Amino acid sequence: MRLKTSLLKEPKHKELVSCVGWTSADELYSCGDDHQILKWNLLNGETSLVVKLPDDTYPIDLHWFPKNVGSKKQGQSDMFVITSSDGKFHLISKLGRVEKSVDAHSGAVLAGRWNYDGTALVTAGEDGHIKIWSKSGMLRSTLAQNGLPVYSVAWGPDSEKVLYPVGKQLIIKPLQPSSKVLQWKAHEGVILKVDWNPVNDLILSAGEDCKYKVWDSYGRALYSSTSHEYPITSVSWAPDGDLFAVGSFHTLRLCDKTGWSYALEKPNTGSIFSLTWSIDGTQVAGACGNGHVIFAHVIEQHWEWKNFEVTLTKRRAMQVRNVINDAVDLLEFRDRVIKASLKYGHLVVSTSLQCYVFRSSVISFRYFEPKPDVVEHTEPVTKNWNTPLIFDLKEGTVSLILQCERHFLLVDGGSLFLYSYEGRLISSPKVPGMRTDILNAQTVSLSNDTIAMKDKTDEKLIYLFDALSGKPLGDGKPLAHKIEVVEIALDQGGPAIERKIAFVDKNRDLYISTVRRLGKEQKAVKIGSMVHTLAWSDLSNILCGIQDNRFTVWYYPNVAYVDKELLPKTISEKDGSEYTKSPQIVSFVGNRVTIRRSDGSLVHTNISPYPAIIHDYITASKWDEAVRLCRFVKEQTTWACLAAMAITNKDMSTAEIAYAAIGEIDKVQYINSIKDLPSKESRLAHIQLFSGNFQDAEAIILQAGLIYQAIQLNIDSYNWERALELAVKHKTHVDTVLAYRQKYLNDLNKKETNKRFLQYAEGVEVDWEKIRAKIELELVKERERASTGPLGPSTRSSISLQH
Amino acid sequence: MAKDSLSEAGLHFDDLNKLRILDPDVSQQTTELKEECREFVEKIDDFQKIVGGLIELVDQLAKETENEKMKAIGARNLLKSIAKQREAQQQQLQALIAEKKMQLERYRIEYEALCKVEAEQNEFIDQFILQK
Repeated sequence: MRLKTSLLKEPKHKELVSCVGWTSADELYSCGDDHQILKWNLLNGETSLVVKLPDDTYPIDLHWFPKNVGSKKQGQSDMFVITSSDGKFHLISKLGRVEKSVDAHSGAVLAGRWNYDGTALVTAGEDGHIKIWSKSGMLRSTLAQNGLPVYSVAWGPDSEKVLYPVGKQLIIKPLQPSSKVLQWKAHEGVILKVDWNPVNDLILSAGEDCKYKVWDSYGRALYSSTSHEYPITSVSWAPDGDLFAVGSFHTLRLCDKTGWSYALEKPNTGSIFSLTWSIDGTQVAGACGNGHVIFAHVIEQHWEWKNFEVTLTKRRAMQVRNVINDAVDLLEFRDRVIKASLKYGHLVVSTSLQCYVFRSSVISFRYFEPKPDVVEHTEPVTKNWNTPLIFDLKEGTVSLILQCERHFLLVDGGSLFLYSYEGRLISSPKVPGMRTDILNAQTVSLSNDTIAMKDKTDEKLIYLFDALSGKPLGDGKPLAHKIEVVEIALDQGGPAIERKIAFVDKNRDLYISTVRRLGKEQKAVKIGSMVHTLAWSDLSNILCGIQDNRFTVWYYPNVAYVDKELLPKTISEKDGSEYTKSPQIVSFVGNRVTIRRSDGSLVHTNISPYPAIIHDYITASKWDEAVRLCRFVKEQTTWACLAAMAITNKDMSTAEIAYAAIGEIDKVQYINSIKDLPSKESRLAHIQLFSGNFQDAEAIILQAGLIYQAIQLNIDSYNWERALELAVKHKTHVDTVLAYRQKYLNDLNKKETNKRFLQYAEGVEVDWEKIRAKIELELVKERERASTGPLGPSTRSSISLQH
Repeated sequence: MAKDSLSEAGLHFDDLNKLRILDPDVSQQTTELKEECREFVEKIDDFQKIVGGLIELVDQLAKETENEKMKAIGARNLLKSIAKQREAQQQQLQALIAEKKMQLERYRIEYEALCKVEAEQNEFIDQFILQK
């Protein structure tokens, strides 16, 4: 990725340019010390004078009133604020009329910023004051008073906090007067510029120590640049929070959000005092010290999927390269490319007006799907790349494209749209009051049947939608977690009913939860801690992540729901020190994981291919093949995965083989005993019990009317009170419960203290002979009920008899 | 004697016996002086002309020298500034080189990772073939 800069031959301003601001993707306002406000139209390349300010007004900062405020969705912002050196700020209309000038500070007003909903303006002055103003320019409050000038100011993502530098310190101050102020020393020199991105919640700072730094919103340092030759005079986040730009003397830099630099330009600009990204995030404008305004386009973005490499060569052109045969295709677009995504054999590109869907020739990428298109593979790829599907966008401000196997999601303006690859609009899920402009790949996740979203207003909630209907799942209540959720991801394989969501919370613990909750509340199960980044495989339900500096693969995360003890055996871990500090998983395609290190280099690694194959076998119910494969591979993880999958799918014979292979003898025995159970219900109940779901097990048995078995279940789990309760309620086997209780107490040499038992023990005679006879009768009854099922000889009908 | 008396009266006869008020010798000398003076004036004029030419020439030379001097100073300054410019340019290029080096390092790491993946896959294939 790099910047393509353009500078005019002669500067349009006669003196230095101090500030710039975009109104739309193609229109920029700039003003400088020559008191002129110029309008730059990039479509026709014209520059026109909007207004000339009075000679004693030296503008310092400019900020447009945010558009898309409230119900007024469409339309451009029509007002901006200019702060000036005479201690005033001016509200100026788009046509250049000065609507209002307000005396704000003594000394110059160094910065002015609207909050995200346009209800307040914050100004920072040379006198060290931070002041909050209403939209019309009435003073609301003086937020802070400092002994040093404040050079820059930025709003927090929720417009509830303000970030500003004082000297070498950075300060985050909430608007609420009593809330805690966060303050830390950030630089070795005076800090000149700060910026805070609402999408990724990261903070940028730059100072006279010639460094720029990235912080999170708790003030932890994420990146610190090397020292430059000149002070860094400007920093600015791209709207989507993936990139930022850095300006200095004769220097313009494009950096990734993790801090490393994509590209460096050395244009002849003098110091770049201010940088602003266009609204669609495709270009950045800079106010130069020599009177120029520099424009820089981000080009040469790169997308990779399997054997295809896509590069944005120009603003309106892409190059697709098939690395297998070196075939190159050029894709041309009518408008500027804003966003693109390449996954699952489809390239989705959004321009300012339209959406293009290209399809690569590789259509089938699962192991066992029939491949009728084998012949097609030999066809030139060009045929596919040259016939895109094109449809018009609803709003034309796509901020995010997410893809899954069957559809893709566009976040376009204020709404989300789910399209099929044929270009059909499937659904448009809605959360009332959600700010869609700050959604990113960590806060939205898409799978074939489900969409998950996390809202900024309450970060503990995860909203779940049915992808096809766009309606909330289940009872419509969002999934609630104990603490704030940071990252969410839906698994991609398997049937919709088993859809799982993995999420990482603020403590960096990794949880997994079912998405479709049937009946009762399904708990989220913790399967990892200190997880920094995670990704599901694009096809099978394999999860990988970096867990406390170790690269970890959960080959079958669902194991947490069937046999939690087995979880460590289904995980493969390897040392992740080669990925250095805080790496990010970029993609997980097939069994190839791509990780971006914090210095920006990509590292590829392969995981074992077998678990994915087993996943596919199980989806196709090919148990014998799966067992054969495991025997061939002879790996504990594959066997453990197979065991868990067999339990999930209630295939007991496979489970027995698998558990035996990993040496879990106790479980093999239990499975054997389950296999011998007389009725289907009992078996189901014991499988549930095996997975630790006691209540489900009991419910199944009771539903089948097997009262004695339910009581026995409780006795076996030493759940005495419940056993007695059941017995009394159904007026049967009270003596059995009492007899077992007695035996248990005798074994432990204890006396009965439980009042209820004492009370019932009075009226009941314990006679083991009678009890045995009754139990035998119950078992016969159960066997008769289930006589339709060929069960073979079974001596023990319930493991309880082993007592 | 008459001559003397005449001469006393301030009258003289010249060779052609014409009466003269001035002593012919003196007259002759005067004429000679006049002649000489004329010559002298002429010579002086010539000299002035020559000197003027010389001054003009020297002036011109001075001007040219001055020009050259200015040029030299300019050139020297330019040279100095070029050195500085080169330094700045060098700095810029060095920054760009550092950037490229970093990119190269990233590519090297990626290449190494890919080599490792390739080795792993080859090993996997070998193993697979052997086991079959």
